[in-house]
Amino acid sequence: MIERRLIERIEGEAELEFEECEGRVAYATIRFEHMRGMERLLLGREGRDALVLTPRVCGICGHAHLMACVLALEDAYANAGHALTLSPKAQALREATLSLEMIQNHIKWWYLVMSEELYALRGFTPPKESALRGAYGAQIINRAISALAGQWPHNSYMIPGGVTCDPGALELLQAQTALFEATRFVQETLLGMELERFLSALTCKEITGIQSDAGRVEAMLLELGMQEKGRAYDRFAVLGSHGFAAPARLRGTKTYKIDPAQVHTEAAITLRGESMARNALYRGTSYETGPLARALQRGDPLIKNMHRRFRDSTYTRIFARLYECALLLERTAALLRGVVLGEASWIEPPPIERISAEGVGIVEAPRGPLIHRVRLERGIIAAYEIITPTQWNLASAPRERPGPAQKAMEGLHVSEAAFVFRSFDVCSVCTTH
Amino acid sequence: MHSKPKALWLQGLTCNGNSHSFLNHPQLGILMERFELLYHPHLPCTLSLEAVVTCMHECDLLLFEGAFEPTMRRAGVALERLLEHYGACAAQIVAVGSCASFGGVFGSSGGLDAQSQAWSEKIINLSGCPIHPEWLALILSGFAEGSAFALDAQRRPKALYAHLVHHGCTRNEYFEWKVDAKGFGVNEGCLYYDQGCRGVLSHGSCNRILWGGVSSKTRSGQPCFGCTESDFPRRDLFKTRKNMSIPHEVPLGVSKRAYLTLAGIAKTFTIERLSKDLMDD
Ligand code: SF4
Repeated sequence: MIERRLIERIEGEAELEFEECEGRVAYATIRFEHMRGMERLLLGREGRDALVLTPRVCGICGHAHLMACVLALEDAYANAGHALTLSPKAQALREATLSLEMIQNHIKWWYLVMSEELYALRGFTPPKESALRGAYGAQIINRAISALAGQWPHNSYMIPGGVTCDPGALELLQAQTALFEATRFVQETLLGMELERFLSALTCKEITGIQSDAGRVEAMLLELGMQEKGRAYDRFAVLGSHGFAAPARLRGTKTYKIDPAQVHTEAAITLRGESMARNALYRGTSYETGPLARALQRGDPLIKNMHRRFRDSTYTRIFARLYECALLLERTAALLRGVVLGEASWIEPPPIERISAEGVGIVEAPRGPLIHRVRLERGIIAAYEIITPTQWNLASAPRERPGPAQKAMEGLHVSEAAFVFRSFDVCSVCTTH
Repeated sequence: MHSKPKALWLQGLTCNGNSHSFLNHPQLGILMERFELLYHPHLPCTLSLEAVVTCMHECDLLLFEGAFEPTMRRAGVALERLLEHYGACAAQIVAVGSCASFGGVFGSSGGLDAQSQAWSEKIINLSGCPIHPEWLALILSGFAEGSAFALDAQRRPKALYAHLVHHGCTRNEYFEWKVDAKGFGVNEGCLYYDQGCRGVLSHGSCNRILWGGVSSKTRSGQPCFGCTESDFPRRDLFKTRKNMSIPHEVPLGVSKRAYLTLAGIAKTFTIERLSKDLMDD
């Protein structure tokens, strides 16, 4: 018998289909029904139009799409013999707003998804104001993005050669003040401790039993045994190069080289019906991507400790996201402090009409590596391909080699499996785009 | 005690950008206290999507985000069926964002109001890709208060769309004196002449009601892409189409002759202050 479960509130929906054996998941598949066909919409347009359209793939990580897009266009410039140089200021601003978007994603995921689901799984009603707290934290961060990039969601302030904005002391202060306010919120309400203390913790013990939203979530996770559940392959991939991440393949904590050209996709397989999604693989093998992958690549002490004890369990995965949120708050503040206002925002590149070349842009998005591949012919888009992070994590593959989320659900009761599935931070709209 | 009006947020083909933008409203809690929220893709609500699609419930206010594709299914039920039911019982339908209002990025068959004569009179179009949270807050508060909004020919509330995006832009003086921006990444100069700005051609309040309370596209050096208009997304969004160095489209409602006359006069003067960097002495 196949049991189905509709998973909603994941930036759209997915359907999980379970084959059970004695009440436990033997094999699960993941089906995404909706697709919009973004790549097709881009064909025949001037290259820079993609800076406006591709952010519309996703309402929560559109800024990551913008950055992957601008990097792909700049790579095409380089491959056409016109390597562009960016000012340090433009680079810092791009990295800062990308990080800010990631922070607001993690805050929303924590409050609007994970903690709501966790309370429900424990049979409690979540505190009424909990979701609003998440919206508040995210809203403050989005004000910081707006101060620099004009608005959020859906700005297009990164363009080949730099950024469109030229912030003065005032705009920078607006962003910094918002970041400060969000940091205070995260410290007082979410973590129940200073960022520094959380980030320098070496063991779980140092963060257990704190009176805070994180403390309450941790207690519930332990009650549910989530430190033993939701393990996938303990195999990870990071592809973006940032201050907060470097490309690597990992088995456990051991790192190996990775070559982005070896990333490919295949059609997703489901028990019933058709999925619009495609699985992302590296040389035929699936890898988990996202905050846990990045935490192990960076070697964050607290997450490494959790990983040593609980491997790639749901518990570890959830805390890796929280850790990254705290880490990025600290690093983004440092990035903004380093911005030299007098530097150029934009260095004019040759007209795009002169560019006939391919380009690849890779960034780390909230859920992992995001790849944009473009081919320009005299500046016009002749081909465009987007591979999103959720295509790795939520791959729906045959039972001999299930994808990471499929693997993580095996052996669990259906209701727990659905929760574990969400611990990957599911985004329906990105998966199919 | 009166029972609160029931609001239902339904989605067609969408990126969720409008629902995320709405979450940015600084007084979200206070605003939503006035409603019983039956369904929203992110906020806590009383129904699951599976309950919504049974069509056993009724709403007073329908908020529809995304492009309407009749055959698209939500939780296994065709959107057409959902809209038929909830559209009929709602006293007002808000098309949230440009996809719902006009088709936008993802729609192929126009906006919601093209779908059914029966309730097209109930529709308010809130175009924009995405909407600003305060625009929706205005409509929500109005609904809770029972107040009506004057609408323009495209069923958009005049309170928001009678203005042009150009109104309140910090580059207005450069526009007046025909000083164009010397590229991107500068605060000086107007983006209408080369960078593709559609602020003088697009209805919207982006430079009156700032994003995040702090900025806008043109304030951060991006041209207005005209995302509130029914022809969004146009092509060649980062450049201005010109004939003999005159923008092909002149400001809304201004005759070409009037525009050219004024532009000609303005151009005969060089205003020193406007040709310098703002930060120069
Ligand atoms: S940049 Fe656009 S909105 Fe601003 S003054 Fe020029 S035309 Fe108007």
